[in-house]
Amino acid sequence: MPVAVQLLIAIGFVAIMMIASHLLGPKRRTSDKLINFESGIPSIGNARQPMAVKYFLVAILFVLFDVEVIFFYPYAVNFRALGTEGFYAVLMFVAFFFCGFFYIIKKGALKWED
Amino acid sequence: MPIQHYLFLSLALFSIGVMGVLMRRNAIIVFMCIELMLNAVNLLMVAFSKMMGTADAQVFVFFIMVVAAAEVAVGLAIIVMMYRKVHSVDINILNRLKH
Amino acid sequence: MKPLIASAVFGVIMMFAALSVKEKKTFTLLATLLLVLLTGVNIYELMHIMNGEIPEALFNGMLKYGSFSIWFNTLMTGIALLYVLLCGKHIEKVGQHTGEYYGLIFFILCGANLLSGYNNLLILFLGIEIISIPQYILAGSDKRNLKSSEASLKYFLMGAFSTGILLMGIALLYGAMHTFDVSQFNFMEHNVDAMSLGGIFFIMVALGFKVSAAPMHFWTPDVYDGAPTPFTAIMATIVKAAIFVAFLRLFSETFGGISQHWTLVLSIVTALTLFVGNITAVFQQSVKRMLAYSSIAQAGFMLFAVLAVNATGFKGIIIYAVAYSVATIGMFAVLMKLKDYTYDGFNGLGRKHPLLAFTATIFLLSLAGIPLTGGFFAKYFVLTAVMEQGTGMMWLVIFALLMAAISAYYYFKVLMAMYFKKGEPELAIEVTTGDRFFLGLAAAAIIVIGVAPDILLAWLKN
Repeated sequence: MPVAVQLLIAIGFVAIMMIASHLLGPKRRTSDKLINFESGIPSIGNARQPMAVKYFLVAILFVLFDVEVIFFYPYAVNFRALGTEGFYAVLMFVAFFFCGFFYIIKKGALKWED
Repeated sequence: MPIQHYLFLSLALFSIGVMGVLMRRNAIIVFMCIELMLNAVNLLMVAFSKMMGTADAQVFVFFIMVVAAAEVAVGLAIIVMMYRKVHSVDINILNRLKH
Repeated sequence: MKPLIASAVFGVIMMFAALSVKEKKTFTLLATLLLVLLTGVNIYELMHIMNGEIPEALFNGMLKYGSFSIWFNTLMTGIALLYVLLCGKHIEKVGQHTGEYYGLIFFILCGANLLSGYNNLLILFLGIEIISIPQYILAGSDKRNLKSSEASLKYFLMGAFSTGILLMGIALLYGAMHTFDVSQFNFMEHNVDAMSLGGIFFIMVALGFKVSAAPMHFWTPDVYDGAPTPFTAIMATIVKAAIFVAFLRLFSETFGGISQHWTLVLSIVTALTLFVGNITAVFQQSVKRMLAYSSIAQAGFMLFAVLAVNATGFKGIIIYAVAYSVATIGMFAVLMKLKDYTYDGFNGLGRKHPLLAFTATIFLLSLAGIPLTGGFFAKYFVLTAVMEQGTGMMWLVIFALLMAAISAYYYFKVLMAMYFKKGEPELAIEVTTGDRFFLGLAAAAIIVIGVAPDILLAWLKN
């Protein structure tokens, strides 16, 4: 029951805040306010220029391989307790990892020169 | 600090995420709201884990993070594919499928 | 555990094959070979169970395979094999990356395997994600087609949203139960409160999303319609069946003890699903879209197995999953042979290609639940499973029978077009002897299930 009340309060809080900020907030749409803030320097051109997909690809692959590393933290903490069996498990994990890495290299996802 | 505070905070974050998904029309913002929902869950899991003194919920959080990263990779690729076709990330365009 | 590892490794093998092999036909051949192998591994595992070996809990009790889950996996790999044999040619035509598509299909089977054997909410979550993420990619695989990309984006946003809800449910349940291990859940006076019930509700909503139960079904027609047809076939069958097994195992085994708290909500969802699916299917012009709505309607019937909370429900879901999957894959295989996906495209098919029309007839009759086809016993089992629970659900059973009668209308519309209307159906692809053979095989399987459903249950222990 307290959870239900809290849920209600939570939803109500969100709704009230959204409505309140919508109603109370001052709305002055001058041209100065609408331009991007670039550390006080006038902005040049549009930031949304077409970008080559390879930038995006590298960024995404970085995110994937970066996040996978978090599984090493619990292993590092329990390194001794897990013993050889844990070591083989991590080795298998890394092997699967390398499969993926090998695949993207072969696929040419990290090639910069055309 | 009692667990209720964490519960309240993460339910509020979760509700903000749900509202965002339902109300926003920009695919990227919808996506960010989904991430907010996932992180609200992460917060709740860690709070429960601390309360109970067990670590399994923290391991669960690791899995959520990794799966979320995989979803980001696929999802952003889909959004980019869509953007290159229609030059917009407005999900109202999706209604074109209904004929 | 062997089938699980095998399916993941085979997926990786398909991925690497995509690097070196150029010929698209080779992929289909390789995938067929690997699926035969995977079915073999599953049968090997099944034999061990049948010989009285007690399956051990794997990974600290996170996975536990019984005869039900291994038999279900065997059936699903068998159906996947049939799917590749029937639709392989069409998968080759979707896009450039045939090898990767097959790899993703193996990953889907891996997720289905996890879902059938999970004993921990972590594995449930991972299974659902491993099944979903490949589907987002497969839905958008036809990159030249805008509809395919839209379907992919829509499916992705909705799928990720429902994942968030599922996780919230799991977190709340963990808070109430203090464990993720579903076999250690025990509901008592003090912990059946808003937190655990809220968790169950969130999980029900999320799984309802995944199996497209109304009112969480709205993405289904668009996604199934927009995705390339061969991949719609797998999304509507194997994936749906696998998620239903997870749904059934969670709600019957784990939450079965407190069924009084959730059966009412679920029965309303069931009634709504049956109503929306069947009524909207009547008004569709395209057969592909009609099949999408029909899959919603069939999900309504499968929900009966969940509602039953007894052993007959498990039997029912096995028969329903097989009968529905084979019939739907067969129907999609026939549909893909045609150029025009509207009802008019079927005009005169009975005269021009009698075998195609005849097998389509059997598939449609099975979907409608006519006696002597597998669909009849499927519906029979799930409905009796609910009736065993007493007369409280009688209204729902009568409603379901009414809806089954309505469903006959739109399935028969295709039959009418095939046999009683004149026209020149145009084929998109040549029908080879192999196609005829496998279509005939699928139709024969449906008839066999319709005559002797017990052969599917003989492998289940208790």
